[in-house]
Amino acid sequence: MTDLAALSLTEAAEAVCTGQATSRALLDACWTNWEKANPAINATIWLDRAGAEAAADAADAAVRAGKSLGRPLGKLHGVPMAHKDMYYQAGRPCTCGSALRRDFVPTYTCTVLARMAEAGAYSFGGLNMSEFAQSPTGHNKTFGNCRNPWDGSHITGGSSSGSGAAVAARMSYAALGSDTGGSIRLPAAACGVTGIKPTQTRVSRYGVMPLSFSHDNVGPLARTARDCARILSVIAGHDANDLTSAHEPVPDYEAALDGDLRGMRIGITETYFLDGADAPVLAAMEAAAKVLAGRGAIISQIKLPLMDAVSTYGGIVSRVEAATIHAQWMRDDPQAYGAHVSGRMYPGYAIPTPYYIESLSRRGPILKAFAADVFSQVDVLLNPTIRTCLPTLEETDMDNGPPGTEHRFLAVSANCRAYNYLGLPAISVNCGIDPNGLPIGLQIAGRPFAEARILKVADAYQRDTDFHNRIPPVLA
Amino acid sequence: MDDFLKATEAMIAAWHGVTAPNEQGRRLADDLQGIIRNFARLRGTIAFEEEPSSFEAALQATKDGA
Repeated sequence: MTDLAALSLTEAAEAVCTGQATSRALLDACWTNWEKANPAINATIWLDRAGAEAAADAADAAVRAGKSLGRPLGKLHGVPMAHKDMYYQAGRPCTCGSALRRDFVPTYTCTVLARMAEAGAYSFGGLNMSEFAQSPTGHNKTFGNCRNPWDGSHITGGSSSGSGAAVAARMSYAALGSDTGGSIRLPAAACGVTGIKPTQTRVSRYGVMPLSFSHDNVGPLARTARDCARILSVIAGHDANDLTSAHEPVPDYEAALDGDLRGMRIGITETYFLDGADAPVLAAMEAAAKVLAGRGAIISQIKLPLMDAVSTYGGIVSRVEAATIHAQWMRDDPQAYGAHVSGRMYPGYAIPTPYYIESLSRRGPILKAFAADVFSQVDVLLNPTIRTCLPTLEETDMDNGPPGTEHRFLAVSANCRAYNYLGLPAISVNCGIDPNGLPIGLQIAGRPFAEARILKVADAYQRDTDFHNRIPPVLA
Repeated sequence: MDDFLKATEAMIAAWHGVTAPNEQGRRLADDLQGIIRNFARLRGTIAFEEEPSSFEAALQATKDGA
């Protein structure tokens, strides 16, 4: 692996802006790792090599011009990235991981990529993903399964499978994912990188393939909490094209990363998130809590209220919205979907509208009651991102797997879905390696719009540990 | 095929024009009986929210310093 590819996103941006490296050299480092790792992990669906090289050269020219004219450069200047293949870019493919959109070329560009481009970044490809973002594992019948860079027989997590794998394999400095029930946090956990799902409404979804309007979120996967803070500072904030996006001011997320956790109250959930958890996962979480305590955090146990209601109502909202969005294709060409994707959507058509409306109407009161109880006791919540050691692709293959497959499949996302219904921000960081050599994820969640706080905790953890810097075997 | 599944498939076809894509879909449609039970258990536990935009309001009401 080249040294440039080992840089974090913030280090790479700094290197370009100070003239220590060119954007073209960063891009070449990404290509080198793509050529080495991608045949084994299948993280990309399409690449635009010529377009990326032109963008890199333009970024380098801007650096040279900026030096002579004193022009400021953007926070992501010259950093090459690829993103989950569901972000619309005018004139570029956007398959959404499905045969149904294999030839789809949008005519407009999503707000988040426009904002990243304005900050100096450019994208070089579309990353593999679960079909229409509808699976927590990374299986894909059309473009092939994405494989874990730590062990290709295991899942990458999904649905942002290529985002997790590409960042872990140092093919991209960061990647956007989307999260409707864990789809940023799960691949971050499974691939050993960092991924944040912001508060519902925090980031615009204009020009982003929808799955569930009430639960969809846009956010980054990257190598460090600081990288995630950098990207979030660029993409967060109200968007006139997405009136569901919040007017809440965007704080300086990086300024919050001071490593000081003195007095921070951290609650480890006693039940629900730990039900059926594997011993190595529990041990890694407990070790992580000790690291945080070493920086002054106050650790306590906490019981979460209303989780049955969160689970039931959240499941109804997601099912009905996904079924509605896909109704035309489900009528016209249901066999174009993977069997488990169409099979899981089908019951959504039978759920009565009053159930759906009731589930939505309960969301505000439940959040208020949850927050009043939980956040009066603690500032953030800590739990494993995935309860179990990482399963294999075969063990979670819903179309062809052995008995018990569905149980293992559903267990993958069991610890993430609740935060989508509650709308809370949550981040996953790598906190260990299981006995099979696969990463273990630690999930940190907080109040609405408390992204700065959970990033601060994640960054503090990464100051004292090196899991986020470990290189997966695919690059050995 | 039990009565619940028969009625569910007929309702989906009549209201949406969608037919079961495969056996997985049929099995999961049959599993809706569990969701009905879970939903019924929650009745009366949380008051119905009358105000519009209650979730967005709750996000604001529960943030730091609110």
